[in-house]
Amino acid sequence: MTREFAIVWAHKDRLLDGFANTVWLCVLATVIALAVASPITMALMAQNRPMRTLARGLVDGMRCIPFLLLAYIIYYGLPTLGIRFNNWTAGLCALVVYNACYIAEILRGAWASLPREHIDAGHAFGFSGWRLYRRIILPPILMACVPVMGNQMIQIIKDSAFLTIIAVPELTHEASAIQSMYYVPFAAFISAVLLYWVLCRIVEMLVGLIERRAEKRR
Amino acid sequence: MTGVSRRWHKTLGIITVVAAVTAVVLQIMAGPAKAAPLDEIKKRGSLIVATEDDFRPFEFVQDGKPTGFDNELLAMLRKAAPFQINQEIIPWTGLLAGVTTGKYDVALTAVLITKERSLSLDFTMPIADATHYYVKRKNDGSIKEIKDLNGKVLGIQAGSGLLQRLPELEAMLAKTGGKIAKVVEYTSYPEAYQDLALGRTDFVINTVINLQALVDEKSNVFALGQAVSGPSFPAWAVKKDNAELLAFLNGFLAEKRKDGTMAALQKKWFGKSFDDLPTTFTPVF
Amino acid sequence: MRAYDYLSLLQGATVTVSLSLVGIFLGVPLGLSLALIRWAGVPVFSRAIAVYVSVLRATPLVTFTLLIFFALPNVGVPIDPVPAAIVALAMNTSAFNCEIWRAALADFPRTQLDAATAAGMTPGLAFRRIVFPQIWRVSLPGLVNEMTLLIKSSPAIAVTGIVDITRAAVRIGAQTYEPLPPFLVATALYFLVILGFVRAQRLIETHMERKFGFA
Repeated sequence: MTREFAIVWAHKDRLLDGFANTVWLCVLATVIALAVASPITMALMAQNRPMRTLARGLVDGMRCIPFLLLAYIIYYGLPTLGIRFNNWTAGLCALVVYNACYIAEILRGAWASLPREHIDAGHAFGFSGWRLYRRIILPPILMACVPVMGNQMIQIIKDSAFLTIIAVPELTHEASAIQSMYYVPFAAFISAVLLYWVLCRIVEMLVGLIERRAEKRR
Repeated sequence: MTGVSRRWHKTLGIITVVAAVTAVVLQIMAGPAKAAPLDEIKKRGSLIVATEDDFRPFEFVQDGKPTGFDNELLAMLRKAAPFQINQEIIPWTGLLAGVTTGKYDVALTAVLITKERSLSLDFTMPIADATHYYVKRKNDGSIKEIKDLNGKVLGIQAGSGLLQRLPELEAMLAKTGGKIAKVVEYTSYPEAYQDLALGRTDFVINTVINLQALVDEKSNVFALGQAVSGPSFPAWAVKKDNAELLAFLNGFLAEKRKDGTMAALQKKWFGKSFDDLPTTFTPVF
Repeated sequence: MRAYDYLSLLQGATVTVSLSLVGIFLGVPLGLSLALIRWAGVPVFSRAIAVYVSVLRATPLVTFTLLIFFALPNVGVPIDPVPAAIVALAMNTSAFNCEIWRAALADFPRTQLDAATAAGMTPGLAFRRIVFPQIWRVSLPGLVNEMTLLIKSSPAIAVTGIVDITRAAVRIGAQTYEPLPPFLVATALYFLVILGFVRAQRLIETHMERKFGFA
């Protein structure tokens, strides 16, 4: 067993490259998904009925399909329609689209529970539309959502492992490549599990930090 | 916590620990017994072989039935063996690791003989001649010979002997001052071929047998390139120091060579027969 | 896509649903057992379970399935594809279920337990008659939500070679070089299965609301 871990240690560069890829992919996906989620949330809360129904349909639909299938469709299916991403971009795209819908739903829930007085005050001071959203509505929503966003980021990290199947060189893929070449499955995958755990703990700690700072400000 | 509820909790805890441990133990249902030398196999009454699930034309699944060169040989082996044979169809990435740890007795698939693998595996006599070639898109006019592979993207299977012998191609390219731009590793070849067709990679390396079958089937999509390695042979693999099992398999294969079945199968699946395969092969790489 | 291809996708659907159900049926009671141990404060095991839950909730199902299927034989525990998938699914969902049950147990009024002991009930009887009937109702929405999540991550079991919906679709695509049709059909199949679960979840919540006054 020590021999196995020694082999994995000898190839730790590769494993750490995969880890870095996973981190980069997930951070990027979270940020972009958050940005994409905002207009979706606005559509979900829109006065305009058709837009609301469309957004509702999109969000509910995305929550009823497995992430891997979405990744497959974007990666293997879109090319038949002429859109061809490389595996990294396809993976990022899938993560963004899938999680933006979940985040939009979370933001919508927070928005719906926002005290009416704040919005009325905003209207009274002449805020409306995008300005209202950006200055009055979004900040408290984001602060309230930090713990849930933390959970969502952990979900993104776990979904990213599916991308090994479309050959994105993330952590699970690299661990699998190392073990299939040197026959060290236990050491390789345990190391990967450990790295995922460390990553999730870091996210949880960051969420805790932000929550404490938000409490101080309030 | 009061003394009463603490004792209450403790008893409850012990009961559930026992229940949980039992549940976990029951969950890890006994798989096949560990792979073993020939007498143990004869005593156990069954041999466990592992084949890949999509590696045309050696083995693949058609309409739910495993078929291909190796699967046909397996059917004959079943008749010749004095024990039952259990077949596991699993992805390549765990196949050889499974043989080295004794989960499977035989890797009954096209395992390329390499020096590194010989450290932990023993090989039967080769079942085919499998020099490594590359395949490219038919309409890709930029690749005509080896030196054109400079700066191109390669698709290849993770954990394969083809990947292990990539240094040979890299040496060839270095002679003309070139190098491969990027190596993308796939879990299995069908995905690699699909990406080649879609233009995400520029060439895929596999044995001439696999590629010939691919080009024959999809002649309007792919075209065969040139050899990128020296001689290479696939064979069946068993765990190291399992001489009796190896002898049994070699005996079977030698018989099939002698009575012409091997040649007939090779012609059927590979398009031609390899009549002067060596009986042993010491790999240089 | 030929008729046989559709059939293989439907067969994959039966595999997906049956393995997911087995994973759920094993994972829910296992989660309860783990939650009870933590609630009871059993010395060494409580800490061990806390670590187990933390790690399993942070590990992607794909990586965990690969670990169980390829690595266990490596350390001397031989395991077949189907048992490996079931173990991976059950262990993964048990960690989430443990937290759900624990939340319900933590909210459980201590006074009722003390009353039960005072009335002379053994811990087992008290659990069966007093604790469990209340906590399962509170936990149900969370558990059903977790079941939906399990089915959505079930494509991970394809890495063991099991032919579920995903692997069936991949095989068809690999043969025909037209991956979009089988993937769209596969997505539709998953959609139907998950929709069924979500509908059942809504139904249960409304029923509970009506019958017990909370959801």
